[in-house]
Amino acid sequence: MSMPKGFKADNGYATVGERGGKGYREIAEIMTVDGFPMKHSAARNYFLSGMRKLAAPICEMHGLSKDEVDRIALDPRFQESIADIIEEEGILL
Amino acid sequence: MVQVLENYFSEVGKHNLLSRSEEVELAKAIEAGDQRARDRMIQANLRLAISIAKNFRDKGCSFEDLIQESNIGLIRAVDRFDWRKGFKFSTYAVWWIRQAVQSHVAGQSGAIKMPTSARAVMYKAYKFREEYLEAFKCEPTPEEVAAAVGIPVETLKAIRKSGAPQISLDRPISKDDSGSRTFAEIVGGLDERDPGDEMDKVVIRDTLIAALKALSSREEKIIRLRFGLSEDIADHINFPITNKERKELIKRGAK
Repeated sequence: MSMPKGFKADNGYATVGERGGKGYREIAEIMTVDGFPMKHSAARNYFLSGMRKLAAPICEMHGLSKDEVDRIALDPRFQESIADIIEEEGILL
Repeated sequence: MVQVLENYFSEVGKHNLLSRSEEVELAKAIEAGDQRARDRMIQANLRLAISIAKNFRDKGCSFEDLIQESNIGLIRAVDRFDWRKGFKFSTYAVWWIRQAVQSHVAGQSGAIKMPTSARAVMYKAYKFREEYLEAFKCEPTPEEVAAAVGIPVETLKAIRKSGAPQISLDRPISKDDSGSRTFAEIVGGLDERDPGDEMDKVVIRDTLIAALKALSSREEKIIRLRFGLSEDIADHINFPITNKERKELIKRGAK
């Protein structure tokens, strides 16, 4: 799923680099070495699929429609919040 | 304490007031070193001290302390009274008594006791501000006030900060609140977290944990790599892979 037009300009990407996160190309390389060959686009699709799964119950909790799930999952602020919560709360994935 | 005061008032009431000529006679004797004349002069004017102390009852000090301070002012007035100037003693003593009580009120009414010099600085700064406002129709800067008073700006700021009014946490929020709620009930500590936020956090955490279980191991691994969350590759309890993925890995020859 492509990013809505103008979205990146308004919101940018999640700042994964500052917390030691990797780019999609690096992720694809690591996954390929680990036995799951994939391109960067597939890595991104897996990532967003995971984000959608995390966004869905939170949208439901806040009474947001299912149409909002994609928008929330793509939002770098949501992605960073998820990373913060996982890190702060010490949640094991 | 009320009984003590009542006894004191009744004791004070037993001393007769002095006539003008008696005041002069006693003042002359005091000058000559007569201690009993001094005591008589003080005792006869204790009622004056009480009446002045009463005017300061709503300033946040206990009445007993106010009476004590006004008595100190009275004693100072007795020691300095000059009968040759022709004034009544009460006219002269009122100023000394009022000065003593005012000084006590200014120093004791807050939770922080300010030294006299600091209070003098506050007063000078206040007077300067008044004059500045009248002359220029705007507030002076702290630097201007400090220069006018003759102290460093930091000292002025510290004095102002300590002179700020304090509010008791046990004080009711408003007079209409019939004392049911106090500031202590609504003011949070500096290190306290908002209970609503904390509850939201717990709910979000639980929801997130449940949602994380729904992730495939590939999604989970990519999310971890994307966020820079490290994984212990040997920890198959916390980071398991599915049987399907294990078979896939074996098929591809990965360890």
